[in-house]
Amino acid sequence: MEYWGVKVEDIFDTMNDRFRPEGAKGVTAKFGYDITGDGKWKIIVSEGLLEVIKTDDLSDCAAVMVCDGETFVGINIGKVDAANAFTSGKVKIEGDFGQFGKTAKMFKKYVPKKAAMSTRDYILDMFGTLVSRFQPQNAPQEAVIVYDIGGADGGVWTAYIKDGKCELKEERAEKFTVKLEVQEAKDWVDVMLGKVDAFSLLSAGKAAIVGETQLALKLGEIFGKYQDPMASGTPEQELIVLKKIISVDQKFSTGPVMGKFLNALKEKKILGNKCPKCGRIQLPAREVCAECRVRVDEWVEVGPKGQVRYMEYVYYASPDPLTGETRETPYGMANILLDGCQGNDTFAHLIRRDQIDRIKGGKDDVSGTRVRPVWNEHRTGSIFDIKYFEIDE
Amino acid sequence: MQKRVAICAVAQIKNDPNLWYARFQNMLLECFEGIMQQTKVSFDMEKGIRTVITCSDDVWDARTISNNGMTDVVGAHFRGEEKMAQESLNGLGYAIASILSGHDDVILYMGHMKESQTESRNMCTNLAFDPFYCRPLGMDFVNVNALQARAYMEKSGVTEKHLAKIVVRSRQKAKGNPFARENEAIKEEDVMKSPLLADPLRQLHYYPATDWAFGMLLCSEERVKEFTDKPVWITGYASCMDSYFLGDKDLTSNFSLKNATERALKKAGIKDVKKDIQLFELCDHAAYQLPMWAEGIGLAKEGNGGKWIDDGGMDEFNVNMSGGMLNGNPLLLGGAARAIECFYQLRGEAGKRQVKGAKRALAQSTYGAAGQHQAVVIFEV
Repeated sequence: MEYWGVKVEDIFDTMNDRFRPEGAKGVTAKFGYDITGDGKWKIIVSEGLLEVIKTDDLSDCAAVMVCDGETFVGINIGKVDAANAFTSGKVKIEGDFGQFGKTAKMFKKYVPKKAAMSTRDYILDMFGTLVSRFQPQNAPQEAVIVYDIGGADGGVWTAYIKDGKCELKEERAEKFTVKLEVQEAKDWVDVMLGKVDAFSLLSAGKAAIVGETQLALKLGEIFGKYQDPMASGTPEQELIVLKKIISVDQKFSTGPVMGKFLNALKEKKILGNKCPKCGRIQLPAREVCAECRVRVDEWVEVGPKGQVRYMEYVYYASPDPLTGETRETPYGMANILLDGCQGNDTFAHLIRRDQIDRIKGGKDDVSGTRVRPVWNEHRTGSIFDIKYFEIDE
Repeated sequence: MQKRVAICAVAQIKNDPNLWYARFQNMLLECFEGIMQQTKVSFDMEKGIRTVITCSDDVWDARTISNNGMTDVVGAHFRGEEKMAQESLNGLGYAIASILSGHDDVILYMGHMKESQTESRNMCTNLAFDPFYCRPLGMDFVNVNALQARAYMEKSGVTEKHLAKIVVRSRQKAKGNPFARENEAIKEEDVMKSPLLADPLRQLHYYPATDWAFGMLLCSEERVKEFTDKPVWITGYASCMDSYFLGDKDLTSNFSLKNATERALKKAGIKDVKKDIQLFELCDHAAYQLPMWAEGIGLAKEGNGGKWIDDGGMDEFNVNMSGGMLNGNPLLLGGAARAIECFYQLRGEAGKRQVKGAKRALAQSTYGAAGQHQAVVIFEV
């Protein structure tokens, strides 16, 4: 049976192609599928390998999924909500439910094959519809047009136009008004579907016009536009999307604490503040220790050198919304434990781009790569008074 | 309301035109410490604060999830923290609901707004409107309020002279409030000569840009003795949302305020608003709103706002003894400022502006353009 154009067998037949060994790591089990009315299947998973068998004997399976074909296909192609199907009882798992859950990670999603037309199908359809697309009011009194379409999918057709009528024969007329020579059928299909411009084919030498060029250029008027049968028939309503940049100028106050931290950067100093209760150092400095709920007013200079604890590679460069500036990618964003800090008192900044592959993050008592700040020549009290950190060597 | 919720303590900073030297965290921290000192409340997970509610607005703070920026200064680490990005009386409603539902029995409620941060208040409130229709027309809270002002003034016989009187009185009353924004003393003619923003709204008819923050500690009736000997009880709360698109509503009908008032009074068991309540704090973003909200609440007869002012209604019913929003509270927090004034008054701590013998008070707030969203709270001692 077919559901939404997909058969139950299609799902099982593609399982080997969709199998993800990394998702089946550590799983050695047999699972059964009892698809009411469509048959039974068993899959055997072992050491990253998969075997799919159509069988009536599911007795040795760790778990068996029981449901009807429509639900099974629906879940696989996203037409039926899996959670709903389970809670409503349309899907039942007999046996070890937990074990069966592991199958969810084992397969890539099933993508139904889109029925496609071959080049030959298109060529036949284009010539099959040519006469019906004839526009006598735009046609000359009399003309003979030869289409010589090359390649395995091609052929030769001749359109005879006379007194407002058009007749098409699959033959080569020796006497013609104009002849179109196209080397590859695929190229002609692309032109007819509007994917390729006819002039680019001509200039690339992939097509030629013999005879009355002017008439060839009018073919688009003599015959109505070819409609791709694969394209949806009714155009959708045009949806309008507004693209706007919302911009309202702001003044962000630093306050006395963040202000002192930023000002110190001008003097090439990194200042943290130390909680009087728990002793942790905050970077950047803040008004209170959030954990102890007390004001933090003891200032300590830390670093400027330190060790990398974590680093990540970032491959995109969103602009800074405040300045519009972007950065080159990939870049390394790091949490650095500056000298004088402990535990998680880390400082976030960037790593010199040509060194990111050499950075190792520290852990417990193992030091990460030692780094030092590279200071900007013109310092303004910004976090970019430090350009980035580089390896201290 | 069968059960009552107590406000145990309030704290605030002084309303200021431009706290350029402070982050909003600095503003909140002072309020937080004020509450801690007054109540000695702890953050013990058994007996202390487990839930913090904050009130702020992402557009005005220019950061998404703006409450993330303040969790450390409001003690919210490692416990529940919820944000109300709406008028602060609605935030108070959220705190009330948390307690009455039994979700928690002690709530710290904090709010801030720094209007001086943005270069244009009107561009911020323009963003309250939809991007396809109202925003391109240039709608913001000022010009939409002006639309309502014009219609209301015609209906209720409120004149420029009345508006001037309201503004001058607001500033006089604010002189008695140590936390009020300090404004120049003005005369009625100054108001009438101030530049037109959107006819009939003049600059002095509209509340000035203000920075402010506050905190409140609320708790259930059972636990109140742990935090204060002088609780102020909340006995009624209701809110009502009117239509979003202006074309859908009668701008002068006061529909949502009447609806919210009626429900809040019913919960508090109040029959006669004029007799049973001794003090009213109304959220006047603009001068015309004071008589308009007075009508909505039932202090003035509908369509009689002008006469009500002439007859001395503002003083007879002790309306806006704090100076009101018109003197300067930031958007979003006008309601909290009204509630805090009720708290001081009912505790007898309102100093020079004290209303003697006040037992019940009503605070009202509005948010959105032209009084779209209304909230009303009833307090009692």
